[in-house]
Amino acid sequence: MSMIALFGKNSGTVRAQQNRELLLLAGFLVVIWAITTALSPRFLSPANLSDILLQAAPLGFVVIGQMIVIIVRGLDLSVASIMATVAVLSIGLNDNTVVIFAVGILLGALIGGINGYLVAYRGVTPFLATLATMIVLQGIRFAYTGGAPGGTLPDTFRWLATGDLFGLPVALILLGLVAIAAHWLLEHTVYGRRLKLYGDNPDAAYMTGAPTRLLVVSAFMMSGVLAGLAGLVLVGYVGIVDNWTGRGYELDSIAAAVIGGAALSGGKGSVPGVLLATLVLVSLFNIVVILGLSIELQLVIKGSLILLAAAVYMRRSRR
Amino acid sequence: MDDVLRMTRAQPVHLVVLALIGLVVLAGMYSSDRFATPLNFANVQDQMVALALVALAQTVVILSGGIDLSYAGALGLLTVVFASIAGEDPASFAAAIAVVLSLGVFIGAVNGGIVTFVGIHPLIVTLGTSTILSGLALLITRQPTGSVPLFFEDLVYGRIGMIPYGTIFTLFLYLLAGFLLWKTRLGLRIYAIGDNEQAASISGVPVKSTKLIVYALSGFLAAVTAIYICGRFGVGDPRAGVGFDLKSITPVIVGGTLLAGGRGGVLGTLLAVIVLALLANVLNFMNVSSFYQWIAEGLIIIAAVSIFVGRKSK
Repeated sequence: MSMIALFGKNSGTVRAQQNRELLLLAGFLVVIWAITTALSPRFLSPANLSDILLQAAPLGFVVIGQMIVIIVRGLDLSVASIMATVAVLSIGLNDNTVVIFAVGILLGALIGGINGYLVAYRGVTPFLATLATMIVLQGIRFAYTGGAPGGTLPDTFRWLATGDLFGLPVALILLGLVAIAAHWLLEHTVYGRRLKLYGDNPDAAYMTGAPTRLLVVSAFMMSGVLAGLAGLVLVGYVGIVDNWTGRGYELDSIAAAVIGGAALSGGKGSVPGVLLATLVLVSLFNIVVILGLSIELQLVIKGSLILLAAAVYMRRSRR
Repeated sequence: MDDVLRMTRAQPVHLVVLALIGLVVLAGMYSSDRFATPLNFANVQDQMVALALVALAQTVVILSGGIDLSYAGALGLLTVVFASIAGEDPASFAAAIAVVLSLGVFIGAVNGGIVTFVGIHPLIVTLGTSTILSGLALLITRQPTGSVPLFFEDLVYGRIGMIPYGTIFTLFLYLLAGFLLWKTRLGLRIYAIGDNEQAASISGVPVKSTKLIVYALSGFLAAVTAIYICGRFGVGDPRAGVGFDLKSITPVIVGGTLLAGGRGGVLGTLLAVIVLALLANVLNFMNVSSFYQWIAEGLIIIAAVSIFVGRKSK
């Protein structure tokens, strides 16, 4: 174990196990898609598929950030609050799309940086640090808006979230670029190896001379930036800026990260895995609607799936 | 006196929180004539009973090194079940109490069972069960439903002078929990597991059964809270628990209990619940919108946690 830890998680056996988990998840996705299509052919219509993908996009950003934080033994409960706060503030302060995105990214990085500072330098448990920022941000954003939803969106925004470029939804292209960058960072750079090594064994990471505190801060900053981006994309998709934009994404993102193979004990997680899990979650939500089932079933399914996935990974990691 | 101190484990944290209570009360008296009235104090107590009960449950779980986020869903389901069963007659009321308490214990035992025997992180387990439970509650009904007997509402709203019965009941449960934690073997085991699970296991503490009991106890207290909430509002609401998962953690932490487990106690939680309820009340008198109250709450958490961390590292 210690050898694996020292050389990062890229040794053959771990990679093989990750591939098996990916296959398992993909197999599960194919099965539920097949069953739903048999029950309701409408499921595979291009319109519905594009719906699923567009809904998956904002969550996908958040999930990648959440996973990076989980890799360094953290947890980010503030992502949904960041989404709404970034959307409300950056759109409220400006109506130029480029400026909005710049402000949004900076704001996300700042909030994530505060989370990271509290965790890495003040020794606050990630759960509490991000819980506190979640509540503070909620207060700031409601104080700013006075509690009323509002703000009109520039047209470019709608296009970013729902429009096409070369026949592909723009939001998905954005997510794809982010995903590729995150995957490259995690799997092919020293920085990524250090993140995973820190998650595996913080002391070992410290011994190798890695700036461990900065690693943790950077992870939270990435989560903040990605949550900010997700907030902007989601607002574009929904069409209005709401104080509760992204509500529930904190738990959905943790669920998707865990289903996708990230372990709360740290050190584990892959971009393809969590994105596949995001697709599974969003597909299940969609299936409930398509099959005309009671919408509350989404909650029961989601909860069961979280427990099931966690149990499966638990058994595997014990072998 | 020594024994009393031991029992309550008075700590510097408690003095800090007591001082805060004093400050808040002074601010309240300064800001409004209506603050220091029996009616307002009774009002504050009514506001804090439900939170105090859930926070008590959360304290025990956190002391054991776990966490219980299932209250959000559990309270919804439990209130719906209770108000659906309870009628005007005492028989159905008693049946409702029995069913809901058992259901609460069952929910807690399921949480504890998955945590101990499957070995999944309690955060994920209770997040999952909470989601399922709120789904079930909403499948039963989307609207608040059912009713509770009048005599029960009278009981919940009744008070002696400026002390509601709810407060007396809550204090009684806190005393009981304090006794359990400090005077019984079970309590010792809970602290031992929270402090260092492996060490506890090696020294012969039955880790699995203790954890199971802790989560079952948490579910039981959730059921008690649900019954109280039904008495307050007269109906069962599938959304009654929304927010209680995270809200229950704040007083535990502000009261000086470590999230990692093994250190802290119920007295700190009780004092913190009082501070938070008084603060909300005073800020209302000062016409501070709830938006700023959120900011205050978040900053209080950060302050509490940073201070305690600073103390620990010395």
